[in-house]
Amino acid sequence: MAAVTMRLPVPRKPAVVRAPQGPEKHLVAPGDTITTDTGYMRGHGTYVEGDKLIASVAGVVERVNKLICVRALNTRYNGEVGDVVVGRITEVQQKRWKVETYSRLDSVLLLSSINLPGGELRRRSIEDELAMRDCLQEGDLISAEVQSIFTDGALSLHTRSLKYGKLSQGVLIQVSPSLVKRQKTHFHDLPCGASVILGNNGYIWIYPTSEQRDEETGGFVTNLEPVSMSDREVISRVRNCIVALVTHKLMLFDTSILYCYEASLPHQIKDILKPEVMEQIVLETQHRLLDLEG
Amino acid sequence: MAAVVLSEPEKLYIVHGVQEDLRVDGRGCEDYRCAEVETDVVSNTSGSARVKLENTDILVGVKAEMGTPKIEKPDEGYLEFCVDCSANATPEFEGRGGEELGAEIASAFYTVFSSENSIDLKSLCINPREHCWVLYVDVLLLVCGGNLYDAISIAVKAALFNTRIPKVRVLEDEEGSKEIELSDDPYDCIRLNMENVPLIVTLSKIGYRHVVDATLEEEACSLASLLVSVTSKGALTSIKKMGRGSLDPESIFEMMETGKKVGKALHVALQKVLDEEESLGTSRQKVGFLG
Amino acid sequence: KRGLYRKRRGLYREGLLSDDGFRLDGRRPREIRSLRMRLGLFPRADGSAYIEQGNTKVVALVYGPREVRGPRSRSAPDQAVLRCRFSLAPFSGPERRRPRGGEGRGSDLALRLQQSLEAAVLTHLYPRSQIDVYSDGSHCCTGTTAAALAVLDAGIPLRDVVCAGSAALAEGTALTDPNGAEEAAVGPGLALALLPASGLLALVQLSARVPCERLEPVMEAAADGCRELHRALDRELRRSLRERHGEV
Repeated sequence: MAAVTMRLPVPRKPAVVRAPQGPEKHLVAPGDTITTDTGYMRGHGTYVEGDKLIASVAGVVERVNKLICVRALNTRYNGEVGDVVVGRITEVQQKRWKVETYSRLDSVLLLSSINLPGGELRRRSIEDELAMRDCLQEGDLISAEVQSIFTDGALSLHTRSLKYGKLSQGVLIQVSPSLVKRQKTHFHDLPCGASVILGNNGYIWIYPTSEQRDEETGGFVTNLEPVSMSDREVISRVRNCIVALVTHKLMLFDTSILYCYEASLPHQIKDILKPEVMEQIVLETQHRLLDLEG
Repeated sequence: MAAVVLSEPEKLYIVHGVQEDLRVDGRGCEDYRCAEVETDVVSNTSGSARVKLENTDILVGVKAEMGTPKIEKPDEGYLEFCVDCSANATPEFEGRGGEELGAEIASAFYTVFSSENSIDLKSLCINPREHCWVLYVDVLLLVCGGNLYDAISIAVKAALFNTRIPKVRVLEDEEGSKEIELSDDPYDCIRLNMENVPLIVTLSKIGYRHVVDATLEEEACSLASLLVSVTSKGALTSIKKMGRGSLDPESIFEMMETGKKVGKALHVALQKVLDEEESLGTSRQKVGFLG
Repeated sequence: KRGLYRKRRGLYREGLLSDDGFRLDGRRPREIRSLRMRLGLFPRADGSAYIEQGNTKVVALVYGPREVRGPRSRSAPDQAVLRCRFSLAPFSGPERRRPRGGEGRGSDLALRLQQSLEAAVLTHLYPRSQIDVYSDGSHCCTGTTAAALAVLDAGIPLRDVVCAGSAALAEGTALTDPNGAEEAAVGPGLALALLPASGLLALVQLSARVPCERLEPVMEAAADGCRELHRALDRELRRSLRERHGEV
């Protein structure tokens, strides 16, 4: 019984229900003069020519004391120390791994920045170096924290906590980093039965809650048991809800995902991605979120 | 093909899901993603169509130009396929990679349309041995999001449906030399008989089962797939195995059956959209790339 | 094939300009074609833009800045490497263009695009990375503008939004932004890529058909076209910015 739907494209509608605006935003485009007052310091998204401070990206002007910068809406991930990220190993080098995190340069995970199996604390030996691929190889997914930033802007990651490490079975979605809301924690066990990691870099990992991380092995052994059907259904539904939220440019955080999940329950999982269903669910989610705030 | 890299547990998750008929996005093994189809999106062509299969985005333009019939088929016109996998679609297509894939896809379409009845080539003949219509079918891959062949075949069929070929008259003067007169009226044209134009269904083998309309992630879990071309009546016009892995004969028969079933459903859905678009006519505003 | 296409395109007029100075499509000599555009239409790319000017349609995509793929020798230690590619779809002109393999990075159009963008993109901010720009469409100038918009959409810092336009000489008059028919009649003339805020030119490309004494009006016409384009683009851009920033 095959299901095939084809339709004519429909012009995009402008943004759905919007919260009342705050103060007027100063929007600029590259080439715009922001100010000629030389008392200001220039931040990201600007450059100086003569005595003029000029915007170099299209976005909102932000002033913090004497610092002016322009925040573009849509950029690659700009990591900050302490951020939680989900990344994919691209290369195994000597004493370190290269990790793809949707940044301008690949991030780095040093051999000294991971927990050794068994949670040992010791200097890394030659054996460890040779066994790097046993630990993490190309294609593996990890969750990590940004430890520091190299001078060229590349991020240095660490997994020196038991909640980080190699990721096992689950589903990865990539969204724009600007849509991930900054929260105190990015690991959420949703009441609906799945867990998510909302990486600041826009990589979202959805996995079954029932999978316990084996604390002793320090998070590098993967569970290869098939995931149960009920868990799969929850995971697929959460995945589609996230796609719906992202398509309509709503911020992603535990509450918005949960509300969207609940709004989607009357529909079949695969129907969530239909444009009219997506719109309806997202509208409902927005209303609930606005009620929560107001 | 543009491939995504997946970790072993991710692949395992996908494979197990397929066994249970619950794919990552909630679809069953025989379900297609939602497709958007629009024709007549490019001026300067005799026919055109754009198809979006979620992420995969294809643009097809058909240009009818006058040419000389092939020596072995003097009373027929013919089709020429050209597929451009521009680096736009994904940076992995840079340089040779994109060209090779483009050639591979074009070759597959030649095979699919080589069947006797797919297109009534005799209707493209103007003057046997001298003049005929050549339909240049140019495919532009805008974004690659998995399941290229199916999406391209839908776009090709839609573009052919949209194709209008001007009516011509052959005038012979006293010396016996022939002149061809094109009709001035842009509405005076012939349309192609679409009855037997096939659509491609790609069946990707994942674990012990097969799926249609695989996403990039699912393609990464599939070592072998079967391309079948199906007419609207459910007849198979060609079969082609793709991929490095191997298929056992029994699963090939199963996949063919699924291909026929899904193919018929595809034709029905596509025809419905094309008819709807035509009936709306000029009252519907083209969306194109701006909508 | 004598006499073939006898009645093809039977709308040839005597000249490209009417007696009271109107062009084939009703424009005045210094008017540009109507502009429609859209940003971010391909979410998978870092930046994307689509421009429609008259019948010209161009799509541009940008990937980056990102880690350099391929040989390390490709990366520069002090700036981002800008790689541009320009492709013309076979159905993009009035006659079907036979697809050539060589529309890649080495081609003339791609090099022009690269030159125009290098003047604007602040590549020194991203050492060791690469920025890939792909432009797909029927016209070099529109392709350059679309590429600049795609770079903007990707959040990559630009000195200015590059606006490119062309002008041709027809019957003694300089025509801004020639359309397909005009270009077919008199050939391409002068192409300019302008950085509007500073008024500096990132690209000047002249084809043979402009006599020296006519150069100035043609340059003015092309520059006018760029400035007019920038005004139209700017309006659209700000409207799109307001819409998108209202959302977040």
